[in-house]
Amino acid sequence: MEKGMRQSLKYILLIVICVVFLFPLAWALACSIKPESEILSYPPKWIPDTFTVSNYTTVLEKYPYLSWGANSLITAVCGTLMILFLSSLAAYALGRFEFRGRKLIYGTIVTMLLIPIQAYMIPLYLMCAKIGLLNTYASIIFPSAANVTSIFILTSFFKSLPRELEEAARIDGCGEFTIFLKIMLPLSKPALSTVTILTFIANWNSFLWPMIAIRSDKMLTLPVGIAQFMGSVNSNAQFQYGTALAACCMAIIPTMVVFLLLQRYFVEGIATSGIKG
Amino acid sequence: MSNRQMSSGAAARNLTSTKGTKPLRASQGKIAALFLLPYLAVFLVFRLGPSIAGIAISFFKWDLAGSLSFIGINNFKRMLTDSNFHTSILNTLIFFVLTLPPLILLSLLLAAFFNQKMRGRNVGRVVAIIPYVLIPAVVGIIWNWMYDNNFGILNFYIKKMGGSAIHWLTNEHVALISVAIVIIWSFLGYNTILFLAGLQGIPKELYEASLIDGATRFQTFMKITLPLLKPTTSMVVTLTMVNTVQLFDQIYVMTNGGPGTSTLTMVQYLYTSAFQNYEMGYGSAIEVAVLIILVIMIFIQNKFLKVDEGV
Repeated sequence: MEKGMRQSLKYILLIVICVVFLFPLAWALACSIKPESEILSYPPKWIPDTFTVSNYTTVLEKYPYLSWGANSLITAVCGTLMILFLSSLAAYALGRFEFRGRKLIYGTIVTMLLIPIQAYMIPLYLMCAKIGLLNTYASIIFPSAANVTSIFILTSFFKSLPRELEEAARIDGCGEFTIFLKIMLPLSKPALSTVTILTFIANWNSFLWPMIAIRSDKMLTLPVGIAQFMGSVNSNAQFQYGTALAACCMAIIPTMVVFLLLQRYFVEGIATSGIKG
Repeated sequence: MSNRQMSSGAAARNLTSTKGTKPLRASQGKIAALFLLPYLAVFLVFRLGPSIAGIAISFFKWDLAGSLSFIGINNFKRMLTDSNFHTSILNTLIFFVLTLPPLILLSLLLAAFFNQKMRGRNVGRVVAIIPYVLIPAVVGIIWNWMYDNNFGILNFYIKKMGGSAIHWLTNEHVALISVAIVIIWSFLGYNTILFLAGLQGIPKELYEASLIDGATRFQTFMKITLPLLKPTTSMVVTLTMVNTVQLFDQIYVMTNGGPGTSTLTMVQYLYTSAFQNYEMGYGSAIEVAVLIILVIMIFIQNKFLKVDEGV
C-alpha cells in the first residue's frame, strides 16, 4: 500500500518536472498560432479561438528570416567542421605523442576554458576590423574554430586508446598520419559525435560575438536576428508578440531535431567534460 | 591522473622497444608539430592573442576613430569613481547569489530523483536539458512574454490564485530576480546531468553496506552521497560561476540592463562601454576586471570546496 503511494508520488513529481521545463515552450507555441488581437486579450487561453499562421508568414515575408537561418547554418556547420578537423589533429598530438612542451601547450589551451569570449572580444573586434574580416562569415567561423572544449574531450579520449593498436600498425610500416586517419579516427566516432553536437549547438546559439562582428541586416545570424523582435533591443520596431513568438518557434525546430537525434552524445559530452562547446 | 601515468608509462615502453632503429622522441616532436600547427595558428590568432592583447589595451585610450594614446592606469582609476561600474559589480554579485544556491541545490535534488530506478526517467532527463540547448535569445523572448505585466500568463495564474500582479521586469527591485529565475530554468538540467554523472560514479556496494548497517535514506545521503560528490560539486560550482558571470544574451534581450541600471551586470556594462559608447580602452579595463572577479571566485571556491587528493 505504502509502496504504491510512493510509486505514484514519484510519477506525479516526474510529470511536474516535465511541465515546469516544457510549459514556456508550449505557451509560446500556443500563442504563435493566435492572431495578435487574441494574444493581447484577457484572460489568456491555451486553445486559440481562431487558428492562424499569419504570424509565421509575416516573419518570413517581412524579415530576411531565411537568410538569417542560412547564415546561421553556414557558420555553425563550417565552424563545427573546422573544429573537428583542427582539434582532432591537435588533440591526437597532445594525447599520443611525447614531445617537449606538450604539457605547456595543453595547459595553456585548457586554461582558456575559464576565459569567456567576453574577456577578449574587444581585441578580437579590433583585429577583425583591421584585417577587414568584419561582416563576413569568416569573422564568425574562425573565432569559433579556436575551440577548447573539443581539445579537452578529444585529448583525454585519444590518451585512453590502447598503445598496441598503433604499435602493430607501425611494425607494418604505416606512417603516423596513416595511423591517425585509418586506425584512430574510425575508433573515435563516439568522442567525435560528442564534440560535433556540443560545438554545433554552441555555434548555433552563439549571440554576443556574431552581434558585434556582423553589422548588415542580411548577414545576421538567427539568434541576433530574432533579438531584433524584442522591444527592449530595438525601440523602433513595431513590436508584436505574435511575430516574435513565431520567429522563436521556427528557430527552435532545427535545434530540437539535432538535439533529439544526438541527445545521447550530448548528455555524455556534458557528463564527461562538464563544459559547453 | 592515472591516465597520464599510464600513457607516459606506455610511451616509455615504446621508446625502449624501438631503441636502435630510430630516436622516436625527436621524430615525434616533428610530427606532433605538424599535427598541432593548424590548430595552434587559429588558437593563437583568435583566442590566446586577443586575450593577452586585452590586458595591454586596458592601459590605452582607444576610440573607434583609431586614435590611440597610452594613459597608464587611468582606465582603472576611472573605475574607482564610476558609479555605473560599481552598480554592475554589485548586480553581478547579487545575480550570482540569486542563481548559484538554487542551481546547486535543485540540480542535486533533481539528480538524486533521476538516479532512482523508475520508468520514464530518461524522458525526464531529456526534457530537463531542453531549455539549455535552446537559443538564449529565444528563451529571453518567450519569458518576456510570460512576464508581461498585463497579458502575461504568470500574472494571470497569480491573480487566479488570489495574488496581485507582479511587475516582473519593470520593477527595479524585482527585475534581477525575474532574470535569475530564467537562468535557473535554463541551467538546471545541465547541472543535473553533471550531478547525475557524479552520483553514478559512487559504488553501489557503499549504499548496500549502509542499508545493512541500518542507516536511513537521509543518513546515507548525508554521510555517503554528499561527501563522495565533493569533486563533482566543486566542478559544478566552478562552471556555474563562470557561466553566470559571463551571462549576456538573456539579460540583453529581456531588459538590456534596465529598468534604470537594475539589471546592469559587468558584461552588459562592458558591451555598452565598448560597442555603444565605443570606448575600447575602458571596455578592455572592464574585461580585465571581469577576469579578476572570475579568478577570485575560483580561488575562493577552491578554498571552500577543496577536494582532498586522497579521495
